[in-house]
Amino acid sequence: MADDGPREKRVFWDPWSSEEVTKNELRKRLTDRFTKENIQLKEEIQRLEAELQEATRNSQIKEDIPETKVKFTSLENPETDSQFLNISCSFQVSSPIFYELQKGQALITFEREEVAQNIIRMGKHHIQIEDVDVEIVAKPVPLNSGVRFQVNEEVSKVKINVSEIPNALPEDQMRDKLELSFSKSRNGGGEVLCVQYHRPSRSAVVTFMEAGGSHPWRQLRKTLPFNLADKILKKKDYPLYINENCYNVIVSPYTETHLKHFQVFSGISERTVLLTGMEDLQMMDEEILQDLVNIHFQREKNGGGEVEVVKCSLDQPCIAYFEE
Amino acid sequence: MSVNDAALCALQEEQTRLRRRLQELQQQRRELRDIPPDQVPFSVPAVPLVFRGHTQQGKEVPTCLLSKLRICYPLPGGSALVTFDDPKVAERVLQQKEHKIDIDECRLRVQVEALELPMVTTIQVSTQISRWSVLVSGFPAGLRLSEEELLDKLEIFFGKIRNGGGEVETRELLLQGAVVLGFTKDTVAQHLCQVGQFTVPLGRQSFPLRVSPYLSGEIQKAEIMFRPVPQSVLVLNIPDVLDGPELQDILEIHFQKPSRGGGEVESLRVVPPGQRGLAVFTATSG
Repeated sequence: MADDGPREKRVFWDPWSSEEVTKNELRKRLTDRFTKENIQLKEEIQRLEAELQEATRNSQIKEDIPETKVKFTSLENPETDSQFLNISCSFQVSSPIFYELQKGQALITFEREEVAQNIIRMGKHHIQIEDVDVEIVAKPVPLNSGVRFQVNEEVSKVKINVSEIPNALPEDQMRDKLELSFSKSRNGGGEVLCVQYHRPSRSAVVTFMEAGGSHPWRQLRKTLPFNLADKILKKKDYPLYINENCYNVIVSPYTETHLKHFQVFSGISERTVLLTGMEDLQMMDEEILQDLVNIHFQREKNGGGEVEVVKCSLDQPCIAYFEE
Repeated sequence: MSVNDAALCALQEEQTRLRRRLQELQQQRRELRDIPPDQVPFSVPAVPLVFRGHTQQGKEVPTCLLSKLRICYPLPGGSALVTFDDPKVAERVLQQKEHKIDIDECRLRVQVEALELPMVTTIQVSTQISRWSVLVSGFPAGLRLSEEELLDKLEIFFGKIRNGGGEVETRELLLQGAVVLGFTKDTVAQHLCQVGQFTVPLGRQSFPLRVSPYLSGEIQKAEIMFRPVPQSVLVLNIPDVLDGPELQDILEIHFQKPSRGGGEVESLRVVPPGQRGLAVFTATSG
């Protein structure tokens, strides 16, 4: 190591304490200062992070899933017991990303991103429309953010949920009564494999031996007046006989729902450009205007290129969907 | 530069980074006060999208889009699934709970039932910024790695303390080329978000990737409805007297007879006794 000898005797000015100090002393003071400040910064960052976390906790997303018709596609072999004992339903949900096109606005999609970016960079464009010079402004399209996720729902073919069980008997006895009641085919039941009874919550899960082919829920429902088509699965009553009394317990399907690949994303438009400035052209035919805009922006001398699609909105706003 | 100078430099760099992060958070807090509750307070991965001409009149906000619907319905041995061309035929067939199928001198008794499939109608998801997970994004286009390879490389890099990471507990490739990494310690996730940018080796090259907070979702409630499949009918409790192909033929002939209420059969699949089947249903386009 080089001997720092003469250097060490040199004196430095510490602006914070307005003193003359040696290099080593200055270095030590700076190190201490930075270390202390960094600790404080870290603490404040942690506080803010916790605050933000609290603030965004439990924001809820509620989605109504659009009704979709299904059709038989193929017959496969179940690979696991779980596949055979559950009806599984899986699907992907995503928020539509769209732009609300206002009157006097248009969207134009170019084949090439560079062309779109160039048009935006140029900003103002002048188009001759019916001998009138119209100034059109090109901007990027502001798009919303959305969520996307995958849902997997498993409805058991052999288990059902039972609730509102009266506390009329001690745990063991009630479990037996439940098993007996659900074994009665006259009520739509069948051979029971086991009963998991949780007295404090007045609920139980009844597992049947492999059902013949239809869901035990269906069997149970057969004996009850019920309109099958298009009704939200209502919890139905089931008679539970204890000694001389009949109680009504509620039965419902045993289901498990899982969420996967949850993601928030924002849409960004690279090839589609927003054109504004056509508010005064409301009397024009939309199609004719679209053609004129298309032709103008196809021309390289206007800064354009190959155009994929043009949509103008003159007298009515409309929603324009953006896809991948 | 001597060791002490290097240490001082490092402290200065750290402070610059910390101040930047602090500013970011202060900005987010300001923005949070202004934005409506259903929007996200930090920047999220951007997905490039394009307008292709698909529009809708009016100002009604569109509902969410559903895709890749797949329903799997187990079929026990000794059952069959008959799909008719005309749903009215299925309705007619279902009017009789029991069908008697003639074969030579004897009769087969089978049960016939409507098919109902569970479908989710409403879903409620609660979201929260995850304390243990981060979102890794900014992957270059045309990256030639399989899902498994990519996840492995990310776990290797971010699993190392010397890279600023820590032990990885979970990893998931999201639908839009972003990856979620979950760590055993929440301090790791926080630190990685503070740093924000990392150069990660993915194969022969290294790429700058972005690490940001991950908004995770949890299902609060899912309502389901059982909906009938109008064209299909379940045939159950088929006695074990015939071989597969023969049984198939006999059933098809029976269910095509108008005299038995039948009609044009689009498909008929049999699950022989002793076997198990899984009937797969997907969304129709029309």
